[in-house]
Amino acid sequence: MLLEVTGLSKRFGGLVAVSKLDLSIREGEIRGIIGPNGSGKSTLFNLISGVYQAEPGGRIVFAGEDITGYPSHEIARRGIARTFQLLRIFTQMSVLENLLIGYHPHVRYGSAAATLGSASVWTEERRLKDEMMELLGFIGLTDYAEIPAGELSIGQRRLLALGRAMAMRPKLLMLDEPAAGLSPVNVDKLLSTVLALKQRYGLTVVIIEHILKVVMESCDTVTVLEHGEKIAEGAPAAIKDDHRVIEAYLGKEMGDAEVRAFLKAS
Amino acid sequence: MEDASISAGDAVRRDLGARPLWSRLHLPWVAGALFLLLLPWATRNAYHHYILNLILINVILAVGLNIVKGFAGQVTVGHYAMAAIGAYASAVFAAKFGVPFWLALPAATLFTGLVGAIVGIPAFRLEGAYLALATLGLAESVRIAIGVTDYLGAAVGFSDIPPPVFFGRPVVDHIAYYYIVMPLALAGIYFSFCILRSDIGRSFKALREDSLAAAACGINVRKYKLLAFLISALYAGCAGSLQAHMAPGFLHPNSYTITEMVTLLLMVVMGGLGHIWGGVIGAAIVTVIYDLTRDYYQYQMAIFGMVIVLTVMFMPRGIGGLIDDYLAKRRFVAIRRAKANAA
Ligand SMILES: Nc1ncnc2c1ncn2[C@@H]1O[C@H](COP(=O)(O)OP(=O)(O)OP(=O)(O)O)[C@@H](O)[C@H]1O
Ligand SMILES: [Mg+2]
Repeated sequence: MLLEVTGLSKRFGGLVAVSKLDLSIREGEIRGIIGPNGSGKSTLFNLISGVYQAEPGGRIVFAGEDITGYPSHEIARRGIARTFQLLRIFTQMSVLENLLIGYHPHVRYGSAAATLGSASVWTEERRLKDEMMELLGFIGLTDYAEIPAGELSIGQRRLLALGRAMAMRPKLLMLDEPAAGLSPVNVDKLLSTVLALKQRYGLTVVIIEHILKVVMESCDTVTVLEHGEKIAEGAPAAIKDDHRVIEAYLGKEMGDAEVRAFLKAS
Repeated sequence: MEDASISAGDAVRRDLGARPLWSRLHLPWVAGALFLLLLPWATRNAYHHYILNLILINVILAVGLNIVKGFAGQVTVGHYAMAAIGAYASAVFAAKFGVPFWLALPAATLFTGLVGAIVGIPAFRLEGAYLALATLGLAESVRIAIGVTDYLGAAVGFSDIPPPVFFGRPVVDHIAYYYIVMPLALAGIYFSFCILRSDIGRSFKALREDSLAAAACGINVRKYKLLAFLISALYAGCAGSLQAHMAPGFLHPNSYTITEMVTLLLMVVMGGLGHIWGGVIGAAIVTVIYDLTRDYYQYQMAIFGMVIVLTVMFMPRGIGGLIDDYLAKRRFVAIRRAKANAA
């Protein structure tokens, strides 16, 4: 298992956002995580990526190493990249700079060399700019390299957030609602980009998504959360027939006509 | 048909990006250095030479403050206290232990860097106004501590700080001192460009904008905060040492008050936070204004503080922003003209 989570909990005051959760992610799979609003999906990501500290008793093992309690940057350096639901791209920096920040863990020169402006720094900078331009081409933002990220459209921002995570050259890519707010055409575009990146770099992907079409079509396994607990897990086809899943969705505002139709009919 | 002039421009730009900084900035730096070498001979007035040195020392201070505040976004009000530490450390090394200026300067610089790193520790947990308060408290304690320490001259001041000795001759003349300060100021500017355009500068900007996202990208936020404080304290230490050894070789705790800090802040804010040349220009302008209004010392802080607020409200990117806008406009016009010519 690439990622092995056991007994993970998180409380906010009296609210239990994630409750004794177990999760195993196999190397190379695409895992979907679904669940109604407030079911603890983003909190799970924040726990794995070290933004929040889990309650005592929880354990996170990544690639054989116990990373429980590690600070965020250490977890990132070990190969876990994540995007944020609210993107959190660096809007005052250029698109290219955003990717370069993602590439930070792989920069090979030291602080002293950088301060003194040694020639090796500039050859290395050139190398990593070339590499990031290639990635920029992959996510289709080449023409925007020099533009402040704050000037991008929402769809382009989502692509940039994905690109920044990819720039980290991760083993595990965690995407928090990457397609939210996109038009159907852009959802397909983003999805195919994710799949292409996965193929190209041999990634493992965990993807939180409300758009069920995305989850059903591209995930190998789907995990369903409700009130911070895992209520179902399995192949997409099996999940959508699970009565607990249907109840979870129908009980909430998420259970609108579209979801109902999709879950029952398709 | 291919637009030759524009693609040539692009090629040059790409080429520029590839070459190391020292070669990229070759011509302007050489022209600038020549200008600076001859500059003090433009006037025979010794007081003007003194102001020139003051400007350059303040350039070092402002460029250093810009790194921690402008690049890394850490709101520190303790920068001037760092200069005080550098100045008094250097004075003690030279006057009490007989260390020559050429050793006292680097020693005081390193010592201040160390202290600066320690002062940076509160920044792990504090942000914005809280960090400003913490650093203000530290800075004021430094000033007050100096004022009651007899070893440092207490409220009387620290006098008879030996000047630099160059081939057996003491450097007391302000023109001669200029040739020590100027290269150091240039080096400071150069280093800060190197930092800004490297991975360190990017990491600073990332943690300024969103430290949580920066950490998720693998940036060790604490390390880079500490680094920003350390680097800026190195600048302050060097500037402080230069203040100490400049004729008449006298230091007083009253030259390190909150008024001086506000003056320093004004230099950086007026120049444009995070803009290196803007900071340099801001340092020059504010130093001159500060000196011209010396008679109104008791009002300086209020007025400078007000100017800071006004600048932030009406010219948030400062002089540096104006420069950038002008350059962008010129480039735009040039490209449009090239396109028109090609058509
Ligand atoms: N920092 C926080 N402080 C307090 N409560 C929080 C915090 N973060 C999340 N919560 C609460 O924890 C619960 C789970 O939130 P979480 O963001 O993980 O849900 P989610 O499944 O991602 O929902 P959505 O689909 O809306 O993104 C919610 O009730 C939320 O209000
Ligand atoms: Mg969420």
